[in-house]
Amino acid sequence: MKEVTQHLDGKGGEHLYLHKDFHGALCYAIKYLDETYGYEITHAYLRHVGETVYKPLIFEIKRRGLKALEDHLRRVFTLEGGEFELYWKEDHLQLEVKRCPAIEHLKRNNLYYTDRFCTSTIVVNETICRQSGCQAHCDVVPGSGRCVQTFRRMT
Amino acid sequence: MISCTEFIPAYNELFRFLHHCYGKESVVEFWHHLSDTFLDNLRRSIAEHGLKGCFIYWSRTLQEEAADFSMDLDEKKGVFRIIMNRCPSLGRLLESEFIEPYPDYCRHCDHLYRRIAESFGLEFDLTFDAKRAFCILEIRTCNY
Repeated sequence: MKEVTQHLDGKGGEHLYLHKDFHGALCYAIKYLDETYGYEITHAYLRHVGETVYKPLIFEIKRRGLKALEDHLRRVFTLEGGEFELYWKEDHLQLEVKRCPAIEHLKRNNLYYTDRFCTSTIVVNETICRQSGCQAHCDVVPGSGRCVQTFRRMT
Repeated sequence: MISCTEFIPAYNELFRFLHHCYGKESVVEFWHHLSDTFLDNLRRSIAEHGLKGCFIYWSRTLQEEAADFSMDLDEKKGVFRIIMNRCPSLGRLLESEFIEPYPDYCRHCDHLYRRIAESFGLEFDLTFDAKRAFCILEIRTCNY
């Protein structure tokens, strides 16, 4: 075997922070919680994520309304390279995901995928909206990488 | 969708959630599960390339994570080393105003990667300074 020496430096800001394998780690986490503790514990964890990780977004929705959520969704789906349409329909905000970048990455790289993965979107969206005086609804076609997410202010 | 850019705080909250509900041992059990299932790409890389597989694996992941690091492989000496000047994961948690890092956050790398390295008969060392998000990870062939 040819013996070699190799060296590599990383300077942080040189690269875009976008490690899509993390979608796989989340998928395994959901599978693990489902199988070890049951669905209700998985949902409790995802509600906890909604309340803590998305605290700044909840604050912004309370302050600026659903426009803050629109900005967040557009930024995230653009960064991840998803195919989507995001628009206002009467009084509500609608996100049509035509090609989910997370599911696409998992399937393309033969990483573990379960239809339960989309539960993270459903529960986190519902938690963010409940905390900020809104409602969320999500219609998912399991495994297709497509869904329609609807958000409206509670009256 | 929880963006991959939002995963680390969600991961941190999973450790805190499990610890709060089921104790520290449940967190370690989860890390072992993740090592045995999710990290199959690292396992395959070492199986195919030996110690060089570590260099190949972390070359991609650390650049995608925009890490500040220095990484060396010396196949003659049988040493692979990462000096992480600023861990991209813990660094983000430390900078957050609203997230409290799990006290044993750095231990997850030890549990995840040690199991894989040692299963190939490699020696594994991880020393860290969590307050600075700094660590040195070293994997060696046993004849080093």
